[in-house]
Amino acid sequence: MTRKEILKNIQEKFKKDIIDVFDKHPKRVYIEIKPGSIVKIAGYMFKELGTRFNIATGVDLREHMEILYHFTDEDINLLISLRVKLPKDKLEIDSLAPVFEGANWIEREMHELLGITFKGHPDMRRLLLPDEWPEGVYPLRADYEEWDEKAIRDRGL
Amino acid sequence: MSFKLKALLKSPWVFHLSTGSCNNCDIEILDCLTPRFDIERFGMLLAPSIKHADVLLVTGSCNRKSAERLKRLYEQAPKPCLVVAIGECSLSRGMFIHSYNCPVPLDKIIPVDVYIPGCPPKPEAIIAGVVKLIEKVKSGK
Repeated sequence: MTRKEILKNIQEKFKKDIIDVFDKHPKRVYIEIKPGSIVKIAGYMFKELGTRFNIATGVDLREHMEILYHFTDEDINLLISLRVKLPKDKLEIDSLAPVFEGANWIEREMHELLGITFKGHPDMRRLLLPDEWPEGVYPLRADYEEWDEKAIRDRGL
Repeated sequence: MSFKLKALLKSPWVFHLSTGSCNNCDIEILDCLTPRFDIERFGMLLAPSIKHADVLLVTGSCNRKSAERLKRLYEQAPKPCLVVAIGECSLSRGMFIHSYNCPVPLDKIIPVDVYIPGCPPKPEAIIAGVVKLIEKVKSGK
């Protein structure tokens, strides 16, 4: 499929779920979707279109928490990013790990670093943070503050 | 100087540990072993296990998880064990000083004998540091 056909297919098939399509670059498209329909669209892109799931990224922005799911179609050299905006008082989204295994670890990582809950994830243990890290403290949030009293933050000069 | 230290100085075997570095210091350490710099002329060899080593080379800013492993390795090392900190990260954590994951510098975790600054230090700097280490132990300070 060409680039035009892919974008047209997605837009026609998920007309109600797509909020905005931002055509940034010949190699890059951002599609903003509703949080509830991520499993449907990501499953379609992975299984029907045959795009590869690169990675997902989470960012804490001023108004909302944003997750980008990056998919690449290597035949036509196109990177499609699905953008999901989560309200800060309700950080929940359906997990993609049951659909494809590649989403498993990055969702665990986003869970511990940003505090986003992935519903239906098979194994929501910690991935990177040590065991003594306190519950409910998320280091990559904008309002993170130092909790460790033993930490030394000067260079001793 | 104790007999053990005297024996150690003839051929200090080094064990190289990266506690979460960017690998640049590790590449420079490997450079030291190449024929161009040839650190083996001081009798130095990379030891495959800390239990065979006399010197512990540490690169990288110790993060919360690797600090535990570092302590465990230092406990396993046969004493006297000399510790060499290589690179800005292991000296003062460099740009990671405010990172949530790097709470304390290396010399608050284990005692350090020689500091080799640089990001990364050149192989010449590492050799100079190692020679200073040998001099320091020889003079008994």
